[in-house]
Amino acid sequence: MGEIVRYKRDVWGEEVILGVSWDLLWVVAVAILVLLAAHAIIMAALANKKMDKPSAQGRRVLRHETIDRAFHWIMAISILVLIFTGVAPIIGLRIAWLDIHWISGLILTFVVIFHIIRSLFWQDFKSMILGPSDFGEPFDSAKKPGKYSFEQKGMHWSVTVVVLAVIVTGVLLFLQIDTPFWDRTNSMPESQLGLVFLLHGLSTLALVALAATHIYFAVRPEKLFYTRSMVSGWISEDEMTANHDPSKWSPKEAD
Amino acid sequence: MVATSNDVMPDIELYQPTDEANALALAAQLGNQGWILGGGQDTYGWLKDRNKIATAMIELTQIDAWKGIRETSDGIEIGAVTTLTEIADNPLVQDRFGLLAQAAGVVASPQIRNVGTLGGNLIQDARCWYYRRGLDCYRAGGNLCYADSPEGLNREHALFGASRCVAVSPSDTAPALVALDATMVISSESGQRTVPAQDFFVGPDRDILNMTVLNEGEILTAVRIPNTFANAEFYFEKVADRNVWDFALVSIAAAVKVSGGTIQDVRLAAGAVECVPRRLEAVENALRGQQRSEALADQVAAIATDGARPLNYNNFKIPLLANLVKRAVRG
Repeated sequence: MGEIVRYKRDVWGEEVILGVSWDLLWVVAVAILVLLAAHAIIMAALANKKMDKPSAQGRRVLRHETIDRAFHWIMAISILVLIFTGVAPIIGLRIAWLDIHWISGLILTFVVIFHIIRSLFWQDFKSMILGPSDFGEPFDSAKKPGKYSFEQKGMHWSVTVVVLAVIVTGVLLFLQIDTPFWDRTNSMPESQLGLVFLLHGLSTLALVALAATHIYFAVRPEKLFYTRSMVSGWISEDEMTANHDPSKWSPKEAD
Repeated sequence: MVATSNDVMPDIELYQPTDEANALALAAQLGNQGWILGGGQDTYGWLKDRNKIATAMIELTQIDAWKGIRETSDGIEIGAVTTLTEIADNPLVQDRFGLLAQAAGVVASPQIRNVGTLGGNLIQDARCWYYRRGLDCYRAGGNLCYADSPEGLNREHALFGASRCVAVSPSDTAPALVALDATMVISSESGQRTVPAQDFFVGPDRDILNMTVLNEGEILTAVRIPNTFANAEFYFEKVADRNVWDFALVSIAAAVKVSGGTIQDVRLAAGAVECVPRRLEAVENALRGQQRSEALADQVAAIATDGARPLNYNNFKIPLLANLVKRAVRG
């Protein structure tokens, strides 16, 4: 325990990076569980039982289009499969994980590329931009966000950075194995390969933490309507006005 | 002045249990720190080359219950600590399961067979040059395979089932036991489990660090061979660079039940072409119910090599495997 990076001797006897220390997986798992449990306890203690919950009835507005919901769930499934297949050999599960891992990785890569293009040209990209004014939002209860809150933007951009890191390093590692498309060349120097493994491992650890956090918030009672909107596409007008500023976000009516 | 060397044998705690319970308790207590020792023919190579170090060893050769060959109601049971010479020379094995006697009789050299055990032959580690040299390859927990690189020496390596690591199963007795539909008896403090020989070996796609399903604290204690193929027609051939003290380049083990020239049932397994003994099920399916003939042998030989992915220097294994299958079918 205690090390972050593992080293080894290369074929010439030089010390090179081998990858991340997988002891950190347990550190991350415990840390995230403790943090989320603490959050749940604090939220329960602070809960105002008399506070009215916005109604899900009445007029519905569109929050996520079908194609974006499909993107979200394909990405979610592929990330969970990637985490499971990546972690399986580390925790000693004997499954043929590698093919499932790279196929899921390819799916994630294509879906992310599709999402980037769609968000730049067809979606309201500005609604996701995290500006200086957003940072005051958590401290001012009167200040309501547009389509996405400070926390949602923060989660989105954190996931963006981490997923891009996982994808870039994953593609580099993908080139080092035999696939139906090519035979490996084993040509990357060991020191570079170790660095790529290290970055892939570190971004995986971050992704585990972010995925756990995202799932936790997705099932919190006060956020469940957002999760519902990721399934059905809509939130009620009451939910919208309670949580968002209509002057910053004016969605069309849901079908 | 007398020269001194600091390169001495490291301290190793040697345990020599004489009963099963004690051995299993030690295996459970020591976990992966307890190196299970049979005849030592795999172990001592690692220690001699200083590429693996044991802190504790559990030597099994004094446990009588795990030695010898016994007849059972449905075949025979061979203790895992039985030496290869005993198996090769045993009249019961020779009479009913000559395939195993032949396979055990071609392992390495007479001296090695005299001390080497069946269990040791089955669970011995990969013989890839680079892995044995102590390099941190995939199988040693590293990030790459030195054998499957542009300059890698890989004429002994895998044609099938490579997943990052391209090492092959080096055991001569393993293909014979797969062909005989044997069952491995695995014991631990928590009890006993049995695993078909075919499932006992694990490829690198499922576990790149281990070659068998044995978990920490588990010991292979016996091998059971059912009478299913007793007294069938057997064929075993091992092709190596030299006739003694060498590992197979390719081997073939076949158990065939023939009636009136028609193949009623058959099991074939090839050694040294994959990280596990390669059962040739497609060939078996093509053979069942067919009349033995030269044409049939030619036909199924091509099936045997379907899906082979040769490396830079092991293309020769493809025709070698095909020819061994032909010979096995001809009988």
